[in-house]
Amino acid sequence: MKYLNIIVISLILLVYSCYSNEEETFNGTLSLKFNHVEGGNPVMYDQPVYSNAAGNQYEITNIQWFISDVSLVDNTDKIIPLSNDWLHYIDSDLPETQKWTLMDGIPPGEYSSIRFVFGIRGEKNEPMMFTDPPESNMIWPYHMGGDEGGYHYMKLNGFWVDLMAERTPFNFHIGVGQVYDNDQKVSDFIQNWFEIELPFSSFTMPAGGLVNADINMNIEDWFQNPKNYDHNDYGGSIMDNQEAMGTIRDNGHNVFSISIN
Amino acid sequence: MKSILRKKFPGRIFLVVILIGASLVFYWQINSTKFSATPYQLPDLKFFPRKVNQIEVNRLTVEGIRLGRFLFYDGRLSGSLHPDSLRSCASCHIQQKSFTGEGFQMEKNATELSSDYQSIKTGSHEVLPLINLIYNRNGFFWNGLINDKNTNKGPSKGLRYQSLEDVVWISIESKDCMGGSIDQTVDLISSIELYQPMFKKDFGTEKVSIERIDKAIAQFLRSIIAFRFKLYGVLNGEKKFEPDELRGYELFHSEKAGCFHCHAGSLLMTTNEYYNNGLMMDSLDSRDRFLFTNYLKDKGAYRAPSLINCEITGPYMHDGRYKSLDEVLDFYSEGIQYTDFTDPLIKGAIEGGIKLTRTEKNDLKAFLLTLTDRSILADTSFSAPIELGIYSIRHSSL
Repeated sequence: MKYLNIIVISLILLVYSCYSNEEETFNGTLSLKFNHVEGGNPVMYDQPVYSNAAGNQYEITNIQWFISDVSLVDNTDKIIPLSNDWLHYIDSDLPETQKWTLMDGIPPGEYSSIRFVFGIRGEKNEPMMFTDPPESNMIWPYHMGGDEGGYHYMKLNGFWVDLMAERTPFNFHIGVGQVYDNDQKVSDFIQNWFEIELPFSSFTMPAGGLVNADINMNIEDWFQNPKNYDHNDYGGSIMDNQEAMGTIRDNGHNVFSISIN
Repeated sequence: MKSILRKKFPGRIFLVVILIGASLVFYWQINSTKFSATPYQLPDLKFFPRKVNQIEVNRLTVEGIRLGRFLFYDGRLSGSLHPDSLRSCASCHIQQKSFTGEGFQMEKNATELSSDYQSIKTGSHEVLPLINLIYNRNGFFWNGLINDKNTNKGPSKGLRYQSLEDVVWISIESKDCMGGSIDQTVDLISSIELYQPMFKKDFGTEKVSIERIDKAIAQFLRSIIAFRFKLYGVLNGEKKFEPDELRGYELFHSEKAGCFHCHAGSLLMTTNEYYNNGLMMDSLDSRDRFLFTNYLKDKGAYRAPSLINCEITGPYMHDGRYKSLDEVLDFYSEGIQYTDFTDPLIKGAIEGGIKLTRTEKNDLKAFLLTLTDRSILADTSFSAPIELGIYSIRHSSL
């Protein structure tokens, strides 16, 4: 009987709350769709049809990466972090990850740009924080990343045709880099994540509205601008090569573009 | 009628009356339940996945797990009473071997398989170990054929090719497993007095069906969780690696060996994904992942099995071609066959392998031995029930 009373009282309160006369804030919603493109077109996976600025012919097998700490800049240059939903994993093999509707309600108004972190900031990149796949499969070894390098920022896997005309696998992986001493022991770590303010990302959020934005990762730009990246220089495995990952980081600032619907 | 009610109970009061009525009906239904099985509490394990494949209509219960254990070991599960025909899950999944097999396929061809894999006949794949299955959300069998996106229908309503429950009826019917008939199994189990109160306790009815048999055994399988291995203790700060184990751990997680890309992530020691790892192409084996995905990159691709208890679960690879961990390490060091379908994550594939030194092989092996959980090999909560008597499938200690 006691439980029946609790149920009934709860339902009554619920009914009255539905008829509340309080004013509501009609926050809007931001939804991001992630596209992997080459030359402006969707990537054709497992097709050896691409060539980068260094002249490497290559094909892409799959891409996995993290976007985090999305924030908005309003028209007074105030930065508004969207912190309720701070991180998202994107996987070319998992269509359900390629769209992200952020949990944060966006106050109606004008926004001059969208920003995000490619990868994960060091202080948040805690080892073993993910227990479930697919995120847990992005693990970055502890001795290569330390306490602030728990996970890859990106894995871009594929094949390129090397100088011996061999179809050679590459694991274009970026995460925390290492500094090695004379004895080849790790003496320090280097954070390779970076923050991007997307150009031409201004938008208006109507009250209670929905803004859809397409964020494009232009793959060819990982290999150029400011520096050409040649697979023949670095080989297929680069997780312990800070020079390679530093180039990726520098090029990465020009990889992303956006279109807002 | 509506208008009369609205006059007597206008607006919100009318809605409240309806809700009170609904609550009364709901409360009556809850209290009219004749039985309630005891929920089973899973261990809360740090670094292990939070998400499980426990389907909503088959929650783990103490009674269900017990019933499933009985059925798992009962030789009459195949649907036959003849002593020569007694077969159950335990016929191939042996507790002392971490619920994998003895490599029975290997017993005939052991000396030939390592050097001449072409002698492998089409048919059985090596028996996979039945540990930590509750955490696997990416398909069952070596090629992941049984998965939640498989829309094929089974022989009767309710039977699919989607879940761990479906693995049970498939195993009963498959000629590679029990070679039985689910109708005969249901008839026989129904006739055994021992089971009637057990089905009643878990399902609220004595009526046996293949769906209930599937659910009970699946519950038992989900309860088998292996975590008491040294690496777990090290990560929890309770144990320390020996020097060779630590070197092996770092090599396992290095760009040179790259084992962690397929065999790590969480402490399951597998990503539960599928890869072509450079085994010499077996043109005779049509049951790779390409069989049903039709993606070219899935040619020769099989699941990366968990390395927990790999010390015990040989022989290795989908066809059991390697008898020992040493042979596996030799394969990755010098024996990789690079083809158009080799996964790009396989290190050193073009060169035929990662060229490990003898010390590196020893260190890797030392680390792999830290993944052994011997406690489940003799834990009586996973063992054959004594009550099954002569129908119990047991193996003499190996």
